[in-house]
Amino acid sequence: MVDRRAFMKSGAMALFAAGLGGVPSFIARAADSRKILAPYKKNKVLVCIFQRGAMDGLMAVSPYTDPQLKILRPTLYMSPAESEGKMIDLDGRFGLHPSLQAFSPFFTEGRMAIVHGVGSPNNTRSHFDAQDYMESGTPFSKSTSSGWLNRAVGLLGHDAATTPFRAVSITSALPRCLYGDNESLAINNLQEFAIQMRGNPLASNLASKSFEQLYDQTTSDILNKTGKESFDAMKMLDVNNLKKYQPAPGVVYPNTAIGGSLKQIATLIKMDVGMEVAFAESGGWDTHFNQGAANGALARNLKDFSDSIAVFWKDLEAYQDDVTIMTMTEFGRTAHQNGTGGTDHGRASCLFVLGNDVKGGKVYNNIKTLNKEDLEDGRDLPVSTDFRSVFSAVANGHLHINDNKQLFPQWDGSSLSLMKSI
Amino acid sequence: MNFRRMYKTFTVGASLTVLSAFVQGNHSSSDPRINMPFKKMGLTQEQAAAHLLSRFTFGATPGQVKEVVDMGLDKWLQQQLDSKLPDDEVARRLPDSSYDALGMSNEAIVNTYLNAGQVIRIAAKNNLINKDSAKNLDKPEYRAQLKAIMDAQGFKPQQDLQRQLVNQKIIRAAYGQNQLEEVLTDFWFNHFNVSLSKGQCQQFVMPYERDAIRKNVLGNFETLLLATAKHPAMLEYLDNASSVSNDNDIARKQEAGAIARLEKQKMDALAKDSTGASAQQIQKTMDARKSQGLNENYAREVMELHTMGVDGGYTQTDVTTVAKALTGWGIMPLYKDAPGMKLIEAAGPALLAKKGYVVDGDFLFRADKHNENAKLILGQLFPVNGGYNEGVQVLQMLANHPSTAKFICTKLAARFVCDTPSVELVSKMTDTYLKTKGNIRAVLITMVNQRQFWDEKALREKIKSPFEFAISAIRATNADVQQPFQIYNWVTRMGQRFYYYQAPTGFPDRASYWINTGSLLNRMNFGLAFATEKIPGVKINLAALNDNHEPESADAALVIYSKILLPERNLDENIRRLTALVKDANIGQKLNTAANKIAPASVNNPDNMNMQPVSSSDEMIAAQDAPLTRRQRKANEKAALSRKNLPVTTLYVAGNTSTLAQVTGIIIGSPEFQRK
Repeated sequence: MVDRRAFMKSGAMALFAAGLGGVPSFIARAADSRKILAPYKKNKVLVCIFQRGAMDGLMAVSPYTDPQLKILRPTLYMSPAESEGKMIDLDGRFGLHPSLQAFSPFFTEGRMAIVHGVGSPNNTRSHFDAQDYMESGTPFSKSTSSGWLNRAVGLLGHDAATTPFRAVSITSALPRCLYGDNESLAINNLQEFAIQMRGNPLASNLASKSFEQLYDQTTSDILNKTGKESFDAMKMLDVNNLKKYQPAPGVVYPNTAIGGSLKQIATLIKMDVGMEVAFAESGGWDTHFNQGAANGALARNLKDFSDSIAVFWKDLEAYQDDVTIMTMTEFGRTAHQNGTGGTDHGRASCLFVLGNDVKGGKVYNNIKTLNKEDLEDGRDLPVSTDFRSVFSAVANGHLHINDNKQLFPQWDGSSLSLMKSI
Repeated sequence: MNFRRMYKTFTVGASLTVLSAFVQGNHSSSDPRINMPFKKMGLTQEQAAAHLLSRFTFGATPGQVKEVVDMGLDKWLQQQLDSKLPDDEVARRLPDSSYDALGMSNEAIVNTYLNAGQVIRIAAKNNLINKDSAKNLDKPEYRAQLKAIMDAQGFKPQQDLQRQLVNQKIIRAAYGQNQLEEVLTDFWFNHFNVSLSKGQCQQFVMPYERDAIRKNVLGNFETLLLATAKHPAMLEYLDNASSVSNDNDIARKQEAGAIARLEKQKMDALAKDSTGASAQQIQKTMDARKSQGLNENYAREVMELHTMGVDGGYTQTDVTTVAKALTGWGIMPLYKDAPGMKLIEAAGPALLAKKGYVVDGDFLFRADKHNENAKLILGQLFPVNGGYNEGVQVLQMLANHPSTAKFICTKLAARFVCDTPSVELVSKMTDTYLKTKGNIRAVLITMVNQRQFWDEKALREKIKSPFEFAISAIRATNADVQQPFQIYNWVTRMGQRFYYYQAPTGFPDRASYWINTGSLLNRMNFGLAFATEKIPGVKINLAALNDNHEPESADAALVIYSKILLPERNLDENIRRLTALVKDANIGQKLNTAANKIAPASVNNPDNMNMQPVSSSDEMIAAQDAPLTRRQRKANEKAALSRKNLPVTTLYVAGNTSTLAQVTGIIIGSPEFQRK
């Protein structure tokens, strides 16, 4: 394992040495400041996965012993009983959806923590607003221009000027949580990360230089800034080297959007390009209609989601000490099922944190009962854990960020104690 | 005179205004006069025409700036607002032989282009699979048999319907004469987004754009809102078709009967079967019947996204109550074997009308599924037994709410002027909106009549969306696009998989959403692939754009083609920079260095890591030519190197059309061409 990692590092060095002609500006900057390019000191990596559409936390991780649940959800209710969907019992109170089977060993081994009853203090039930608030990290202020993950990058405490890959989102557009002053990249497909004219490397190179000149002088700020970042990143991520970083033997990613995104994140981690924050998203959680129980739309999505994460974890066997994965979703869904076999927009949901830095094997929660008087507006699982107390805990414990005032302005709550180091 | 519009105006009872329209001539009386203050803002006619074209079309075609100036800017705009120019080129490019679905009704589509569920039913009917093992359908042998059965019965695959939908949008945007109508179709579709990613509404997306959106883009907002609300695509996409209530007399009677019957069945079952298994089953049916009901999804989004905006001043209670007002809004049974079809036919129109049902095209209001209680919405009382009209009145109230006026005008200004339009501009537009009860033409005229539209800060300020970018390249070069789906693949890669945007918000309309590191490189690559005709089915005659005069040098090529592709822009700095580059004294050495590099990997090689789900259509197989052999590559490099002592680089060699294409590709990929 040690040898493999040593090889990876020298591989990355070689990648650098062979970079497309010319010295990338970020290297020049680093040389000026007499920073040593190792190329990158092994840093911790936080991988965040946003489940857009609001995952039904009550079905993913079910408080199955609460008698109300069966009443509120006559056709959706599941429990560990054979006849009731064979959930995987976690602690005698909560059951893991059978489609999340892949998470079960992580939980047993103590690498995975589940936090339930998580959400935002702002009670909006609009996807757009709730995502906006969860990503900006300021649930009552729309005007916050930066995202919490971008602020996290700024608070990492070591020199930021050395790599354009410090924060990477595997999406076609930069997500709200990465908006901000700290350089962040959105890449949909690593393969496409070059100026390409097939079969004509000369012309490619010249075209590339021409574009670089043009974007350098444009009066449009956004085109100028993004152009510069693009060319820096392109020089560093030489697409000809990608095939050296294929998945480990026996590791096969699900051929799905989230599977593909995690595969690319794994590639970037193995390439040692200095990535410290990665972001991916997963869709299809807005289950208003026929969500199904042990089988069906939600079950399929949960399986894809957990299988992709489990395969990713296996692929990164040599890097597991450095990687933590945290999932998030904008809100939960109504405690009762609706008239069309689905659930509507609710309040609290649950999330998963996986990593060797995690105090796992526990469902962290302050959930009371599902009796009407304990529900928010008489209908929804109330938010009993502020999402910021989880996000900050992971940022503190894994990325060693300590300034929660800057990470989450307007918040004076305390972090949940779910990481080993705090 | 537009008789259709006249008729509509009559029906709302404004006969007097229509009379005065006769006097005024060729525009409707509620439209303000076009009076564009571009001269006051220091713009020449040419500059103003270029700006107008950049915002109200998908990009100027070569020579179009001059055409608009010659015709007169006001007249050109009026023509676009009237939207009646003949569209022969679009018709020629969308022949019935390969675009048969474009004229089909919802019903014809449902019975021709089957969705996944219908295909499974057919497979089951023909004993290819049993209902529980639908996954078998993935096996090749079943697929072949299924295809044979479907062909024999005249069914067609969904992918073909989606191909027609995607291609027609590209063709209309690139070659249509009524450009403003097309720009607004793009805008309003995105505003009232529905998505092919949702199976239940897939079949209706094409007719939705055609019947609910395109027909109403220059009309009245209220009409547009109602058309979307009642269309099967929206009813399915935001679940309103399945939002029902039993709070009405018909249902109460039926329900009592049905529950009594089930109760009896349950008792009989218990008597027969001591384990109680079948009785439990019946109980489940009863529970499901009882829990059938309200779905708030559409009600919430219609207020948050379609009309008032999230800060528009409504509460959660308003959302729930609007949902109740819209219960029973559903779709006529369309599939010919559907049980509902027979029921409706058996009842007959007279009985349906008597019971309060409403049939309007494919829309069906089910009186037996409507909540008939009194309701209080945004402070207004809706009395009991409001029926279908109650929902209509609610939507009319939303359409004409001051919050809606402001929300819609802000969004229009963000699309046509700049990402963050000024308060003054929006408030002028909002006044017109409220005065004209949401007349979209009037609002647009008010917008161009304001100085802010012509302000220097607004010129070139908007960044083209990937779709706008690709279409503007086609228009700027008079390109002939024979395989529009190839353009779609590129637009997807640049970050805009149109018709598939999953969230009801539609694509965010701002530069920061479209421009990021990955997408920017793809835009540059599109420019190169497009101009060098590496995208299959794209033909460009670059020489023809310059009246077949060949530029004599790289400098000349840069100047001439920059001016053709980017009319009325200040390009001096661009040209200076590029000229310096192509005249670099060390270019020979640089070429040598470059020659030692390996060609970038193909975007389609087997290692391709792009897993973004795309349609299985054959045309998705993307756009690059076959990989060159090592020998060919060597030969290419050698040929290029042999020119190293020439004064200019391989970027441009006089008499070599492929190098002219490269210059053009760089102009298209340049920052200036991303702006509009």
